[in-house]
Amino acid sequence: MTAESWDDRRSGTAVSVGDQDARNRPEPTNWVAALATDGPEQAAALRELHALMIRAAGHQVWRMRASLPDPSPAAVDVIVNQAADEAMTALLGKLHTFEGRSRFTTWAFKFAILQAATEVRRLQWQHREVELRDLDVPSAPAHDSPELCAEGTDLAGAVADAMRRVLTPYQRRIAIALLVDGVPIDVLAARLGTNRGALYKTLHDVRVRLRAELIASGYLSPPRAGPRDAVSSDHRSRVSPNPTAGTS
Amino acid sequence: MSTTPQPRPPELQAVHVDALLQDTTPWLSCDECFERMDAYAEAAVRDPGNRDEAMATHLRGCAACDEEAQSLIQLLRGGGA
Repeated sequence: MTAESWDDRRSGTAVSVGDQDARNRPEPTNWVAALATDGPEQAAALRELHALMIRAAGHQVWRMRASLPDPSPAAVDVIVNQAADEAMTALLGKLHTFEGRSRFTTWAFKFAILQAATEVRRLQWQHREVELRDLDVPSAPAHDSPELCAEGTDLAGAVADAMRRVLTPYQRRIAIALLVDGVPIDVLAARLGTNRGALYKTLHDVRVRLRAELIASGYLSPPRAGPRDAVSSDHRSRVSPNPTAGTS
Repeated sequence: MSTTPQPRPPELQAVHVDALLQDTTPWLSCDECFERMDAYAEAAVRDPGNRDEAMATHLRGCAACDEEAQSLIQLLRGGGA
């Protein structure tokens, strides 16, 4: 990512008077009350909220713009505005759940970030087929770049054997799609008519089963008693701190 | 005439093995992660050494949630927003 930001880009283009006004106006002190009560204060709060959503959605799309099929400014603006609108609808539907554990603006930002990221991933895969293949079916393009070479074929083989023994065909297919073939979790959820949470639960169950099997067969050390960091430190030394194969 | 079978490339590369064996216990759902993400991001901005083990574990295992959490932290820090 370059040092240039979404706001840098916006400042290089025409900024509407409405945007400038929105930046100069004070925020409502009580967002929930302002948004929930009919009247001029509500209208003003809605405008302020929409500006926040545009800002956060723009930030997110800008972060992920390299993966967009069309990263032109016009296309980005369309995605940002659409994501902001949809995020605003989602937020207003959950307004009653705001508990004040963070600033309201931070709480609002996350809705726009989620919506924008999901939309970028959808666009990235909209013309790509998602294959739900089992373990022994090779993927179409070979993933044999040097950095991906297996560090230990023994462990890789043991994991593959464990997958055949302790996972259901459905669990194997989900794990391979998400962790081997790199299908984004939102995209896979949409194609399967489910949601991110359900797929992540499947993935969690897969990992628990595989780890238990590999501990039983001596490939992984059993967890030690104590704080969580100590429990998982043995395997953590082998795994990437944040595997890109997770669910990008 | 016989042919020598070509060795099959390993089905699972190291990065895949790492992802498959990621320890995602204690369990935290994506919905719970989303609920906590705003407070988590603010805490991370206030104190980069702040530890929330359940969130950190989930974010190591879910790249989509992780991207969104890192994005929110960056936004709060003023980098890019």
